Amino acid sequence: MLFETLSAGFLLFLTPLAIGLTALGVVFGLLVGALPGLGPLMGIILLLPVAIGLPPIAAMGFLISIFVGGSCGGSISSILLRIPGTPLAAATLFDGYPMAQKGKASEAIGIAISASAIGGLFGGVVLIFSAPLLARIAGNFAPPEYTALAITGLIAVAVISDGSLLKGLIAGCLGLLLATIGTDEFSTGYRFTFDSYHMLNGFHIVAVVVGLFAISEMAFQIMGGGLTERPTITVAKPGFSSLLVTLRHWKNLLRSSGIGAFFGSLPGAGGVISSFTAYAVAKTSASPQERYGEGAEGGVVATESANNATVGGTLVPSLALGIPGDAASAVLIGALLILGFFPGPTLFEQQPEIVGGIFLVYLASNVFLLIIGILATPLFVYVLKLPKCFLIPIVLLLCSIGTYALQASVFDLWVMLGFGLVGIALRAAKYPLAPVVIGIILGPLLENNLRRSLLISQDGYWIFLERPVAASLLVINVVLIIGALVFAHRKKTKPLA
Amino acid sequence: MLKKQAFADWLVIVGFVALIALVFQQIYTSMTEQGIASGGPYDNAAAYPRAVAILIGIMLLGQCIVQLMKSNKVSRSEILNIRPLVRPFMLLMIFGLYLWLLGVFGYHLTTTPFIILIMLLCGVRHPITLLLSGLLISFVFAFLFEYFLKIVLPGGIYQLNIPW
Repeated sequence: MLFETLSAGFLLFLTPLAIGLTALGVVFGLLVGALPGLGPLMGIILLLPVAIGLPPIAAMGFLISIFVGGSCGGSISSILLRIPGTPLAAATLFDGYPMAQKGKASEAIGIAISASAIGGLFGGVVLIFSAPLLARIAGNFAPPEYTALAITGLIAVAVISDGSLLKGLIAGCLGLLLATIGTDEFSTGYRFTFDSYHMLNGFHIVAVVVGLFAISEMAFQIMGGGLTERPTITVAKPGFSSLLVTLRHWKNLLRSSGIGAFFGSLPGAGGVISSFTAYAVAKTSASPQERYGEGAEGGVVATESANNATVGGTLVPSLALGIPGDAASAVLIGALLILGFFPGPTLFEQQPEIVGGIFLVYLASNVFLLIIGILATPLFVYVLKLPKCFLIPIVLLLCSIGTYALQASVFDLWVMLGFGLVGIALRAAKYPLAPVVIGIILGPLLENNLRRSLLISQDGYWIFLERPVAASLLVINVVLIIGALVFAHRKKTKPLA
Repeated sequence: MLKKQAFADWLVIVGFVALIALVFQQIYTSMTEQGIASGGPYDNAAAYPRAVAILIGIMLLGQCIVQLMKSNKVSRSEILNIRPLVRPFMLLMIFGLYLWLLGVFGYHLTTTPFIILIMLLCGVRHPITLLLSGLLISFVFAFLFEYFLKIVLPGGIYQLNIPW
């Protein structure tokens, strides 16, 4: 079954367009990852409008490789500038920057790239073996289970997001509400369309996501200073020998990759938690001579392998259940939906070639990451010197053209700007944005399955407690919320403990 | 004196209250008129958005209580200062104007001035840098999108598009 899936996907993957775009996506991912303030999510969002006009596997290869490259790119600025390009690379600072200060910048970047690629491949193995298994289990799920699962996904993301639980949940509900705009699937009535034909299918998710994340980010970037400054950076040219150095830390590499893949598969956990956890575990297991925090190679190996293995882990629930683990995978699910594919058990049963193709582009992305990352690091270092005064108009332009290109609609541009304002207000008030996107993605899944459950139910809402899996998931949700509240209360009462 | 964070928090709360009001307004007008605001799970398209709006309302109430219980002590750095907000405000104004003009005059006439204005706002003052960057960025993007990706950029009322 697994072999058939992969071989079916191989035919779709083995095209110059798919392979070329996967390689290009890695380059773009490394660039957006390296540039502070952008990151993989922003990279995926910026090129999403371009990707959805491509054949499915080429499009997914392009986007997934941006995710893979972006998850690693942040380490370059972390090591050279002591500024993590993305929060994912924050833990790489602990040992990467001290290595650079000791004149080992090239080695540190080489190790970071090698560890990321190996961690990513480990995540790929986890993805290939566990996603079909999970999809098979989920194949027995009925509407009540899917309802409970969608609620779990949303709550888990809201609980783990930065900021308060309440704000995370409100943001998630905003996403659910936004998902109701347009024509109702059951009654075919119009909801919140205000008699505008533009809104019959709701807001285009790309316009919403670009506005929420990219426009608001640019507004915050321009508020900060140093817009015309060029940072001084030392030259770094890593070599392929870094791969051997990384492999010498094989125990750390496997353990950290395992941690990354595990956290990735949990909705909401993501790369930041996994890289910090992997670093903490590696530091605890290391001998004192390794001197973690003072430029230990093992520290870079742990954080980078973990955050890239997370990508593979994140794709497990996204593909098998249609439940995104974080905002980036939510956007990937959005892309799949726009391309006409519905993630979940049906995708594995009816279109195994798409699943196989996705597996292969993910694996290829990590191989390309190793090769391109090592060879093209001087280019990324050069791009790091680009002042923000060039970056801001480029990003804004990309947002506008990309959003316009979706449906050649000026209305989408206004939606993007409107959601830019919403994003600014939410960020200023410290509301996490990831639950909004996940709410938009999970909204239809939740509403449709909730209504279907009530249609088949003899006892109304009791159906959710009568079915063991749904009931267990709901109990998990209650435990998650109570746990988060207790944790927040303890944090407030013992802030410095 | 108003705290930055508190101002943003209350602003968002007001926004959510308006959103909830809008949901109910739509349920009792448009959806009721269409006959989709009552009945069973199949016909009642209003039940789910109503439930989500009520849920937001309950959580918002909790958020209001949290806000009111917060410390009133205001440190100097926390005071709302309008000055740093001028640049993002200008950015959004220019961007909004660009989006409007994009539909009227098209990509090729509006993009270079837009890039120059944003770079001016970022503090770039050198006229040659401004002009060259504006022209180069707008040309490269036009080439990438129109030639490579075959995307027709907005031509505006003059239908200006480069025949690559």
